[in-house]
Amino acid sequence: MKKANLIISALLILFGGYYVYLIGRLPARNLPNTLGIAFMPRLLVACLFLLSAILFLGAAFNKAREHFDPGISLREGAGVLFLTIFVYFYVQAMSLFGFILTTPFFLAVLMLMTGSRKWKEIVAISVVSPLCIYLFFQKIFKVILPGGSLF
Amino acid sequence: MDGNVIAALFDVLRPQNIFASMVGVFFGLFIGSTPGLTISLGMVLLLPITFKLSAVTSVCLLLGLYASGMTGGSISAILLNIPGTPSASATAIDGHEMARRGRAGEALGTAVSASFFGGIFGLTCLVVAAPIIAKVALNFGAPELFAIVLLGLTLICSFGQESVLKGLLSGVIGLIIMTVGLDPMMGTPRFTFNLVELQAGISFLPAMIGLFAIPQILVGIAGRAQVIPGYKDKISGVLPKIRDLFKLLRSMLIGSLLGTGVGAIPGAGGPIAVFLSYDYARKTSKKASNFGKGEPEGVAAPEASNNAVAGGALIPMLTLGIPGDPVTAILLGALLIHGLIPGPLLFQQSPQFVYSVFWAYLLANLFNLGLTFSTIKLWVRVLKVPERILLPIILVLCVVGTFALRNTFFDTAVMFCFGLLGYFMKKYGFPVVPMLLAIILGPNLEEHLRMSLIISQGDFTIFVTHPISLAFIVISVVSFAAPLLKPLWKKKQPV
Repeated sequence: MKKANLIISALLILFGGYYVYLIGRLPARNLPNTLGIAFMPRLLVACLFLLSAILFLGAAFNKAREHFDPGISLREGAGVLFLTIFVYFYVQAMSLFGFILTTPFFLAVLMLMTGSRKWKEIVAISVVSPLCIYLFFQKIFKVILPGGSLF
Repeated sequence: MDGNVIAALFDVLRPQNIFASMVGVFFGLFIGSTPGLTISLGMVLLLPITFKLSAVTSVCLLLGLYASGMTGGSISAILLNIPGTPSASATAIDGHEMARRGRAGEALGTAVSASFFGGIFGLTCLVVAAPIIAKVALNFGAPELFAIVLLGLTLICSFGQESVLKGLLSGVIGLIIMTVGLDPMMGTPRFTFNLVELQAGISFLPAMIGLFAIPQILVGIAGRAQVIPGYKDKISGVLPKIRDLFKLLRSMLIGSLLGTGVGAIPGAGGPIAVFLSYDYARKTSKKASNFGKGEPEGVAAPEASNNAVAGGALIPMLTLGIPGDPVTAILLGALLIHGLIPGPLLFQQSPQFVYSVFWAYLLANLFNLGLTFSTIKLWVRVLKVPERILLPIILVLCVVGTFALRNTFFDTAVMFCFGLLGYFMKKYGFPVVPMLLAIILGPNLEEHLRMSLIISQGDFTIFVTHPISLAFIVISVVSFAAPLLKPLWKKKQPV
């Protein structure tokens, strides 16, 4: 965690630097007796720098151990990356083919990822769930679901 | 009696509202009894549905979930020794021990009855205290309102966290995120990168779903879902005898009092209240030596406490607009979606709605009692539903829910970005609740701060010359300085 805290605080200081750059580009449209649109961002970035510096110094000099999850394993990291990319493609596919056509495929792959191996269960869940969601959201509650541009 | 009270009662008793309350309770029992699914997650999953419902129906639905989710959490705690919600952790100590000794029915019956007692106690405190606090808060000006929001944020950042510093960083990053969008005073775009979608700022609904639901899904799917063993034994004798309940009255009162008190402190939350209640009930009990070995008092105190927390947490949320816990933060978001701004003005501008909240919470507690007793065997079966089925469906619901907000995938992308952020925060010990609270309360904080400084013509002493504002600021400073100074103070103590 000590190493992680050092990296995180350094990243936060870098982010703070970028935020300062963005603050500098804000338009100067101050009305009389107002503090301007950059006031709050400036105040916050000062707090961010201060707290990040304390985290950095604390990690660098403090020898006490924290009891947290040691981090992310390679397998889990790969899983998160795959899931992120997969959700991106799901959303892209949904914008083309719509919710009803893409969701069964998406659900089936996710169930395989989580360790499902019973084909009947995978097919049943991945077909029935989107239909239930469609009926519940679109038909009963009139909540619009993503419709494909191709259909 | 105030005409609004009766009007609110009739409003809540409309068929659609009764149905919504029942659905909320049913869904809450499902969420609460399923290990790994939290009440916050249940709330964010139901939020998209509330867009099309009236404000009162939405409140009936969400309060039903809130009340029953707490009770549902005790089912898996008692039967499997796996608390369905963090607030059910203390229930597992004696509840599971009772189940192991063949008294699962008695333990479940005690838990449900104590939950009802705690829920009604919390509601009574809410009904009595809320109008008084709101009346006092009506006299607050911009400096006091700024100080209250600041207090709420610092309490959330500092309470119950492993690292206060990380809690504060999480809050500050949340406040930085909320600076995106139109400036609240002059309407000038800030950090929008010429994107029309960012003009209105970062919507808190995708942020909520992302921060609460996605990290759980990522851990479950990418890290492989855990396999939870089902409960195999038969359950009988769930309905408790009135005589037995009277014997538990003292522990239920302790739990309810502590639960309501702790719940009303923003950020303190259920887990602190239940362990305090359990500990106090044990220390003051004649059967103290039986605690940990299957003592019903050890189930009654924390269960009454975790349901009383809900009533307590609603007090600052309704009267000051400061949520007491993550669930009330989401509830606050739901009210904002309907154009209702919780705070003292809500009591003046929409008194009927406030009374509807009280009635809705009473209805939720009644349904919680009735439905839990009548369907308890169903929830025992729910414990067998594996995460490999639930998590993919929840992910689809998250995507659908965020899309439904403005019918754009931009919000889905925002939700997933927050999800990834929440996942990394969770992995590296950063609490997500301060960030969410900062996103919700940030605009208010900035508005009141800048308004105060306009009034004082840039003089910062306005916050210390107003006594109430000064008091809140002092409590804020103490609340986050105390945990930082505690280790130093301990070092100076003689060994």
